[in-house]
Amino acid sequence: MTGALLDILLLTLRVAAVSTALVLGPAVALGYLLARHDFRGKRLVSALVGLPLVLPPTAVGFLLLRLLAVDGPLGRERLGVDLGLLLSWKGAVLAAAAMSIPLVARTARVAFEAVDPRLETMAQTLGYGRVGTFVRVTLPLAGRGLAAAAILGFTRAVGEFGATVTVAGNIPGRTQTLAAAIFSAQQVGDEARADVLMLVALAIGLAAIWIAEALAPRATGGTGGRVPRSRS
Amino acid sequence: MSHRLIHADSTELEIDVTLPLDRFDLRVAFTSNAPSLGLFGPSGAGKTSLLEVIAGLRRARGRVRCGSEVWLGEHREEDRARSIDRSPSRRSVGYVPQDGLLFPHWTVRRNLLAGAPRARAAGVDPSARFDEVVTLLELEPLLERPPSALSGGERQRVALGRALCSRPRLLLLDEPLAALDLPLRRRLLPFLRRVRDELTVPMVLVTHDPVEAQVLCDELVVLRDGRVVAHGPPRRLLTDPRIVGAEASAGRSAPGLETVLPARLRRRGEVAHACLLAEGVEERGAAADEVGVELRVRAADSVDDETLVWIRLHADELLLAVEPPRGLSARNVLPARVLEIVPAPNGSVARVELAPELPSVAVELAAGTADALGLHAGSAVHLVAKASSVRIVGPG
Repeated sequence: MTGALLDILLLTLRVAAVSTALVLGPAVALGYLLARHDFRGKRLVSALVGLPLVLPPTAVGFLLLRLLAVDGPLGRERLGVDLGLLLSWKGAVLAAAAMSIPLVARTARVAFEAVDPRLETMAQTLGYGRVGTFVRVTLPLAGRGLAAAAILGFTRAVGEFGATVTVAGNIPGRTQTLAAAIFSAQQVGDEARADVLMLVALAIGLAAIWIAEALAPRATGGTGGRVPRSRS
Repeated sequence: MSHRLIHADSTELEIDVTLPLDRFDLRVAFTSNAPSLGLFGPSGAGKTSLLEVIAGLRRARGRVRCGSEVWLGEHREEDRARSIDRSPSRRSVGYVPQDGLLFPHWTVRRNLLAGAPRARAAGVDPSARFDEVVTLLELEPLLERPPSALSGGERQRVALGRALCSRPRLLLLDEPLAALDLPLRRRLLPFLRRVRDELTVPMVLVTHDPVEAQVLCDELVVLRDGRVVAHGPPRRLLTDPRIVGAEASAGRSAPGLETVLPARLRRRGEVAHACLLAEGVEERGAAADEVGVELRVRAADSVDDETLVWIRLHADELLLAVEPPRGLSARNVLPARVLEIVPAPNGSVARVELAPELPSVAVELAAGTADALGLHAGSAVHLVAKASSVRIVGPG
């Protein structure tokens, strides 16, 4: 029982960590794009990114299942190789990633929007190119917000249930994460086990919120959040 | 477009640009060799936009050249013309906005060193300039502080220092003192003046303060609605009712005609005098720069003996007398010569010379006064000013 509990915890943390690592790069890029650039189809991209937030998770899971099915667009027959995602922990990662990317991208966008674009302009006049400006100025100033975004994405992945069980199933020892294990324990009437799992989830959640609060953006001394001046 | 030969380390600034703005098109063309060029005009005249065009922060059509470097426009090399539009990061300007815009995540020291990589890339040792700037702008006590712990004036000094440490070819100052209250502005003026005189970085300064313009600028470009309406020496333009007066008749808040002159304060007991100094040498302290014209000032001003200051004379507080006046309470009666009578909206303005080495002083005359007194260019007159009308700016 304790061994199995530890396995569930480790699998859950592994799925959430890998999912967060996968999501962070694209989500930060997407957040930056939406915060700093205007382009055709921006609203569409923004809407698509937000979609998993408003869909039932099982619907997202089923969509992934359709894509990955043997005869689906990303299935063995079409690709010639089996990605081995269905009914595996990697499938759980995929489901968690799909469900957390909107949250991470949106939080990242807000973090970038809080950085005064005139500071970036200032960096350019001091000789920094686009990349230098991003690395030296934008990223550090958005850093706390981005860290908070990562933590939100991680907790979303820890708590993900609907899409995960649809894609990866609920196989004890292989794909059963914390959320699914609580559901299973409650279904079979093992309330003691459900209690323990619930307390573990509570502990992870509290720790995440505590860290996120500590990282919440602070006032940046008079220059934060100003809109660009457009006088002549 | 003329393509004359340009000396390698020339700092000549050539501007010929067009930029559509909300209310009008900015169309500006001029060439200037001034170490310190002022862009003067009412708010909304296009001054800041022009500065942003020079920095490359706004895309304009036309030509921007700084010395031998073309930043915008056609560049000819051995019969081949290339079209150039350098990005802001490659224009080597030092930009100082109104609100400083210090990087909030860095200490003052790191902010000052923000442009060090560019200075190093240009083959300059940034540390020498750093020490020089820290001393000049008195930044030593601030170095380890975050920008959030600085006052408004300190922030502007750091922003100026940061721009200077990046070894710019051209310093661009966008009303660097406008966000500060008047006393603080007057206290920061000397810092800017020191930068101008000691670091010899050419600068373009946006301002709508006639005192700032006269104290800091060697040359002035006056803008109105996106056009150049005058280009010349600041004291001459800012004491000309045809230029300053037009602002008033256009319904804008007019700064009023004001002459700003360098002087050294001298106390003799209860009495204080401002000894006027010849232009351009007032920094160097030697008594030889005094031109022998003294104005009585109010002694209450808490300025020490021998301090270098500027005095401001409002044109509407000065009087002219064609004969030596007697029994007058005003303490300053100085012999002068009329250089010019210029028509103004409600009368005229006389430009009078106190000494050949000094810039002329503007005096407002009511309608008909000049004719009644028979004033014309060359008339010998007496300039009359109350001690309280001689306002002191500085110390510097």
